[in-house]
Amino acid sequence: MESLGLYLHIPFCRSKCGYCDFYSVAVLNRPILPLIRALARELENRLAERPGPISTIFVGGGTPTVLPRPELDELMSCLKQVVDHDHPIEFTVEANPGTVEEAKLDLLTRAGVDRISMGAQSFHLPELQMLERLHTPDEIPRSVKSCRSVGIRRINLDLMFGIPGQTLAGWRESLHHAVDLGVEHIACYGLTYEPGTALTARRDRREIVPCDEELEAEMYLAAIDDLESAGYHQYEISNFAKPGERCLHNLVYWRNEPCIGVGPSAAGYLQGVRYKNVSNIEEYICKVEQGGQAVVESEKLTGQDLAGETVMLQLRLNCGIVFDEFLLRTGVEARLTYARSIAKYVQNGFLKVTDSGVALTRAGRLMADTVIADFIDEPRSAPRCRAGSTRRSKWKMENGKWKMRTCRR
Amino acid sequence: MHDSNLIRNFSIIAHIDHGKSTLADRLLEYTGAVTKRELKAQMLDDMDLEREMGITIKANRASISYKYHDQVYTLNLIDTPGHVDFHYEVSRAMAACEGVLLLVDASQGVQAQTVANAYLAVEAGIEIIPVINKIDLPAASPEDTALELEQVLGLPAEEAVFTSAKTGEGIKELLDAVIERIPAPQGDPDAPLRALIYDAKSDPHRGVICHVRVVDGVVKRGDKIDLMGVGSTYIVTEVGQCMPKPKALEVLRAGEVGYILAGIKTIVDVNIGDTITLSSRRAGELLPGYQPPQQMVFCDFYPGPGTETAELREAMEKLWLNDCSFTFETASSDALGIGFRCGFLGLLHMKIIQERLERESDVNVVQTAPTVTFEVALRDGTVMRIESPSELPDMSHVEHIGEPMIDTQVIMPADCIGSIMQLCLDRRGVHKKTEYLSPTRVMLTYQFPLSEIIYDFYDKLKSMTRGYGTMDYELTGYKTGDLVKLDILVNGIAVDALSVIVHRNKAIHRGRRLLIRLKKEIARHQFEIPLQAAIGTKVIARETIRAYRKDVTAKCYGGDITRKRKLLEKQKEGKRRMKQVGSVSIPQSAFMSILDPGD
Ligand SMILES: Nc1nc2c(ncn2[C@@H]2O[C@H](COP(=O)(O)OP(=O)(O)OP(=O)(O)O)[C@@H](O)[C@H]2O)c(=O)[nH]1
Ligand code: SF4
Ligand SMILES: [Mg+2]
Repeated sequence: MESLGLYLHIPFCRSKCGYCDFYSVAVLNRPILPLIRALARELENRLAERPGPISTIFVGGGTPTVLPRPELDELMSCLKQVVDHDHPIEFTVEANPGTVEEAKLDLLTRAGVDRISMGAQSFHLPELQMLERLHTPDEIPRSVKSCRSVGIRRINLDLMFGIPGQTLAGWRESLHHAVDLGVEHIACYGLTYEPGTALTARRDRREIVPCDEELEAEMYLAAIDDLESAGYHQYEISNFAKPGERCLHNLVYWRNEPCIGVGPSAAGYLQGVRYKNVSNIEEYICKVEQGGQAVVESEKLTGQDLAGETVMLQLRLNCGIVFDEFLLRTGVEARLTYARSIAKYVQNGFLKVTDSGVALTRAGRLMADTVIADFIDEPRSAPRCRAGSTRRSKWKMENGKWKMRTCRR
Repeated sequence: MHDSNLIRNFSIIAHIDHGKSTLADRLLEYTGAVTKRELKAQMLDDMDLEREMGITIKANRASISYKYHDQVYTLNLIDTPGHVDFHYEVSRAMAACEGVLLLVDASQGVQAQTVANAYLAVEAGIEIIPVINKIDLPAASPEDTALELEQVLGLPAEEAVFTSAKTGEGIKELLDAVIERIPAPQGDPDAPLRALIYDAKSDPHRGVICHVRVVDGVVKRGDKIDLMGVGSTYIVTEVGQCMPKPKALEVLRAGEVGYILAGIKTIVDVNIGDTITLSSRRAGELLPGYQPPQQMVFCDFYPGPGTETAELREAMEKLWLNDCSFTFETASSDALGIGFRCGFLGLLHMKIIQERLERESDVNVVQTAPTVTFEVALRDGTVMRIESPSELPDMSHVEHIGEPMIDTQVIMPADCIGSIMQLCLDRRGVHKKTEYLSPTRVMLTYQFPLSEIIYDFYDKLKSMTRGYGTMDYELTGYKTGDLVKLDILVNGIAVDALSVIVHRNKAIHRGRRLLIRLKKEIARHQFEIPLQAAIGTKVIARETIRAYRKDVTAKCYGGDITRKRKLLEKQKEGKRRMKQVGSVSIPQSAFMSILDPGD
């Protein structure tokens, strides 16, 4: 049986980090309880549409742990119905250093939470300041310790490289600090300049100089090497785990398995439909109260779109695409559909053929998007035209079928 | 009853943006030709592109009635474009008129096209009414502007009419002046028909609309007419006037301006400047026609990705039938395939034609850098004209290369003269004259190679004069220069569509600039790409595009998934719009990068 994930978005943070484009706002003066009631209602509706059992829960955001204790308690009790204490499931809550008082953590563990995903980002103060993070480096070990003291079994630590001003040595230091803390799981994200963020604006005003691409590549390779030798195995482009400690909720995404998304701006993937909720707390509450859900965008994925997304996600995994499973999930025979791209990248060393499919190589991981884009494009690029035909351009791929293009005007 | 004394024909001419089309709005509104409700800003500008860009591209007309001293007059006005590229539209319009309103923006003063257009009117020998417009602007100095007109063009300041096309002030005085000062049309209604086709337009439903000025005789529905120059015969299906919507009339008589429909299929069947006469009673002599507009700038249009040559050809033919102010013929390039070498009246004209092609026919156009015609003298004594660097024969056969020269008038604030003279010098300009229009404004006359000013001189002039500088130019002939062909090699492959002909002294500088531009335009690939500029086999500049090292999305979770996929699809789509040279993808914009002559 396929896994079914549940993602809950809590759109509150203490303050906004410079690079962040998630939907989150300051927690002060916000209608928290009405929001939690709406979350519960949306969840109930989704479960009616696609009954469990839920195999993983991830409460993210935002920073769920900024919720005051009573509200956090309320939130957890909403989740009671999907948590079965006899059959433990992976239950993760996202947190930031400095937001995890033991009382709150205690409350979480009692509700069944067994994993904390901690946004550490860096162990160097100037880098944290560059990112406009609120915490200091020494709050990271303290928070990890708090988690341990209440019995949290697994801790994910997120780190960031490619920060303006960061050096290779500094990055490796952060990695080693993380390793020394003995966390089970480490994610290393290259800093991305998302449109509309404060950091991007500063870059565009030339107030900061982005990290050199060559250096960023070195940092990435250093992470793979250093973590590997410390016993963390890479299982996805940015994710590393000790044996048996991979984050199951993340795997739901990368295997392109169904996931219920609940909350403002949350996205979900149910019955082949990808949907996204409205990114506004008040509108979200209002919509859920009226209609039980708050979807603003949705798309039924079929044919080449479904195959394309599955490629995009599965190639991120170290185990890559498994042809038989891919065929079952998408109805597309990857070996044939992507024959040209596979041949091209196996030849240049970005892809390797595995027992049952293909996967990125170490060099290929640095160029994942280039490879993925070629895969996605392969069935979309026009079919061979008949000799002498000049009409090729009138054809367009739609839902996996070739259709005459309708004129723009 | 028809009385040519009750007719006035005039054009509105001015420098670009001085308010011609807006003034036409006020005239239409004041005389009740359109109601307030129907009126929209610059309503005679009926092309989408004109409305979007806020400029007039084609001349437009309207006939309005105006009561003066208890008599109803018919005023036929033509709104003309101000941009230098469309000069020919102005001369055509004037041949249908007895007078012009010469508009000057009271906050800007006399500008280069004010002078150029006024000279056209003087040459045509028709009445000029100076109109000082935009007097409502806080920065307006109407009296000084009138004095400037007097100083520059000898038009007495006291004859000027002061208007605001925004508030409507002075419109009545202007209409009165039109009646009092512009002569009524002459012409003999009893003589054999002679009507000048001063403009023609194709209409999808009604065929070709010939806009005419009836010089002698009368024409009416059912008449059998001859186009004298072309020698073809048609039956008139409708005559009328634009009010501004077309309105059918019984007849058009000597002195009147109006339109004729005669079941003419395409615009190629009509020669603008031709004379229409009656088959049954032919006029003896043709009216003086027009010089065809002269193409000054050339570039290639190649089918962009997703477009086939045949589709582009179809699109170009269709547009040409609507607007034959540009020329085109088949051309080919190693890098870009089969396309068309096109000639334009100027850079704006080029942009407009490209835009119209893409919009009206849903084709994708890759455009090469504009160039001018060169005159190449071969050692065997033959002389050839080439419109593209790729047509240049092997240099060992070439005796010398000549390039087109222009006389240019530049008007600017006097305090800018130093920097502008330096700019002119950099562009191989030869100084001819300096004239002061007033203590603070000056007009320079220079001779330039056309190639030096055609691309960005105007923009430079604008920025160096805080927007006040204006210019006008006129082709004078060809002159031999020390010109060489500069080739550009991308990853070792010479890209013919990127070659340019330049003056030897500027080759290195130009080559370097070009490579720097190209480096910005061409995205990094998975491998290193050398860029070189060469004269013959001698490399004079080089640059390298580094290979990229990292192309990977860091985070990909629930909400990002579809967005990321679409982003990747879009990138690919963008790449497909590029041209493939060897294994390098070159974006269309790179082919325009030669535009930057560099300094
Ligand atoms: N304040 C003020 N603005 C005016 C007046 N006349 C025109 N304008 C403005 O000046 C701008 C240019 O006006 P147009 O009527 O398009 O000028 P034009 O001479 O037809 O321009 P081209 O056809 O492109 O040569 C517009 O923004 C008008 O609104 C006026 O009398 N007063
Ligand atoms: S704490 Fe996390 S969600 Fe909140 S602003 Fe910072 S990065 Fe974004
Ligand atoms: Mg206009």
